[in-house]
Amino acid sequence: MTIPAPSATCVLLSGDEAIARGAFEAGVLVAASYPGTPATEVLEALVQYPEIEAEWSPNEKVALEVALGASLAGARALVSMKHVGLNVASDPLVTASYVGVRGGLVVVSADDPGMFSSQNEQDNRHYARLAKIPMLEPCDSQEAKEFTRSAFEISERFDTPVLLRITTRLAHSKSIVDLGERRERTPTGFVRDVAKTVMVPGHARRRHELVEARMNALAEWAESCSLNRIEEGDRGIGVICSGIAYEYVKEVQPKASILKLGLTHPLPSGLIREFAEGVDRLQVIEELDPYLEEQIRALGVRLSHERVSPRLGELSPTSVARLLETGKSAPRAPLPDLPPRPPVLCPGCGHRALLTVLKQLKVFVSGDIGCYTLGVQPPLETMDTCVCMGASLGVAFGVEKATGRSDNIVAVVGDSTFLHSGIAPLMDIVYNRGATTVIILDNETVAMTGHQDHPGTGRTAAGESTHRLPLDELVRAIGVRHVAVVDPYDMKQSKELIQAGLRRSEPTVIIARRRCVLLDREARRRARRIDVERCTGCGQCLTHGCPAIFDKTPEGERKKQVEIIAQLCVGCNVCGQLCPVGAIVEEPDSG
Amino acid sequence: MGELTNIAIAGVGGQGIILASDVLAQAAICAGYDVKKNEVHGMAQRGGAVVSEVRFGRRVRSPLIPDGEVDVLLALEMLEGLRHLHRLRPEGVVIADELRIRPAVRPPGAPGYPEDVTDQLRSLGHRAVLIPAAELARGAGNARAANTVLIGALSRHLELPEEAWQRSLRMCLRPSLLEVNVRAFGLGMQTQDI
Repeated sequence: MTIPAPSATCVLLSGDEAIARGAFEAGVLVAASYPGTPATEVLEALVQYPEIEAEWSPNEKVALEVALGASLAGARALVSMKHVGLNVASDPLVTASYVGVRGGLVVVSADDPGMFSSQNEQDNRHYARLAKIPMLEPCDSQEAKEFTRSAFEISERFDTPVLLRITTRLAHSKSIVDLGERRERTPTGFVRDVAKTVMVPGHARRRHELVEARMNALAEWAESCSLNRIEEGDRGIGVICSGIAYEYVKEVQPKASILKLGLTHPLPSGLIREFAEGVDRLQVIEELDPYLEEQIRALGVRLSHERVSPRLGELSPTSVARLLETGKSAPRAPLPDLPPRPPVLCPGCGHRALLTVLKQLKVFVSGDIGCYTLGVQPPLETMDTCVCMGASLGVAFGVEKATGRSDNIVAVVGDSTFLHSGIAPLMDIVYNRGATTVIILDNETVAMTGHQDHPGTGRTAAGESTHRLPLDELVRAIGVRHVAVVDPYDMKQSKELIQAGLRRSEPTVIIARRRCVLLDREARRRARRIDVERCTGCGQCLTHGCPAIFDKTPEGERKKQVEIIAQLCVGCNVCGQLCPVGAIVEEPDSG
Repeated sequence: MGELTNIAIAGVGGQGIILASDVLAQAAICAGYDVKKNEVHGMAQRGGAVVSEVRFGRRVRSPLIPDGEVDVLLALEMLEGLRHLHRLRPEGVVIADELRIRPAVRPPGAPGYPEDVTDQLRSLGHRAVLIPAAELARGAGNARAANTVLIGALSRHLELPEEAWQRSLRMCLRPSLLEVNVRAFGLGMQTQDI
């Protein structure tokens, strides 16, 4: 059998990649982002197009401001971030709504229902209402591309930023996309118009009127725009849905009548009423909050169910079948008593070495967002708080203020997280005469999201060489007098530096610098092994949770039996420093 | 199999699950099908449990496979096979590498690695095919190509033409790794079902 060659213009793209492709085709000139699952791959794909100026910004607020500036200079611009990133960028977002655009401005928010890699599962659809901007929700990669292009047209036609809201299952699912051509657009340049772009109260009051008028015009347009459509089917059951939920409904109830909403702010009230009148039973299927449901009920439209939006976690075809009462037999339960397999810090991770020292010191650890958050798990259990990017410093300082003690608490923050939003709280600690000990876990990359660059790496998103921000000079300039750089593999020195910091009545910053072990394969040393003659079976080497150390102690045996898995060991010798009898030695040279 | 073919690929982060699902998805595209797949990125990856699903047919809707509709479960590690076993159709098949990787951490009170993992893989009455994939991959020249050995074994259970697989391998793999993986795929294809 011969098969036709696949068309070069039909490719399998993730939702993130499809958005990047849509931006490329729409002639986007400037793109900015801060890495965050599930949005990271949007910018990673954009940077592949030489026509686009794509940057990793220090944080999402800066990213949105850069994109807004590009828009005001007449270029099409896109900014992408994970849902919690939009909290950081919410300040410019809400006022950018008043300012409007010159070139199209699209804000991509990638939400994470189910929290695969996030600290909360907020529903960012609420931001569209808060900021009074239109919102689009695509259902697959092809739509993600098309909606991105539409979003730029809507942005320019209605003089507004547009929110393109996706979720993890859209961002990280791949489906076939038909590629189109790029249409180049030449930016007009910045045109002075202070009533539009200088938001002092007098101007902002006038702009707010225009925002309200714009939303009315959009609501009218929503009734007839092709982003929303009724798919007539069985009149017995009608379903209103958007985004990935639409695909689940089509999967489990293919015969239902469906009102598919692509534009979910503002809602087309006339179309909703018309659809409701044409069906016997009406249900809303949506993930997380009852965003559609509450607005539809507020129209006076009767739904055939009490609240069904589960609010918790993500939807699946299985759960949608249950919500729609398709009568499908309940699925089998998972097998009982399976051990969980949570993610862990890698063998040889510098974070593990430093967190092990903190465990020994029994201090309160104010933590932050990054791989090191995994230190909360047993056996390390060295993380006492984790809230949002950069929170570790302010929270530690608050505890210090409330307890009057700084000798039993440290703040732990990654290099990129510190640059994202740790600088301001460090200023606060110095300015308000704190004595906090701050440890910057500097692995010279944004590791958790797949090794992106940041201002401290000396490389741009495109891999070009640039100024490398020296963390030690930065914190000295803020006013921290006690600054030290240490290799976290040297646990003795790390411990001494932390103890000195805890004793001090002034702020201390310790930069624990060790390049991410996944990036630094040359730094691998010879694997370790257990000298069974010397090993007393105390189990100290099992207290830091290294995946390369295997506990093979038989059930009921008190004396530990351990083995180091040579293929996994990178020879960091953290376990060797934990062993009280010197029973962890180098593997003999295999030649 | 129904109108759609549903494959779940489960394993431990770092085993090459995404690559395996890419090869399968691309082969289905090369054979002219509509395809959707999903995968796990970010925090969920670091040595944790990972699953990727591939669906193909005339028209695919949900990128997630409904529970109870998995046709073939491809397990790169046996415990991870157990974790998704209940999602197989009654007539589904589980193809697993005979590999046990103990979870790196065992939270207090959590059960240990099931010693009877191979029996449990058969406990729900499905056909279970166990393959020494890592060993075969070593024979092909690289133990890390175990994922491709399993894809080769999977190919015997799907009606995709050989040419589609070969083309997909060429599209998904770096030239320096292609030869080893083509060999690994061939070894997987030659495995027997028992």
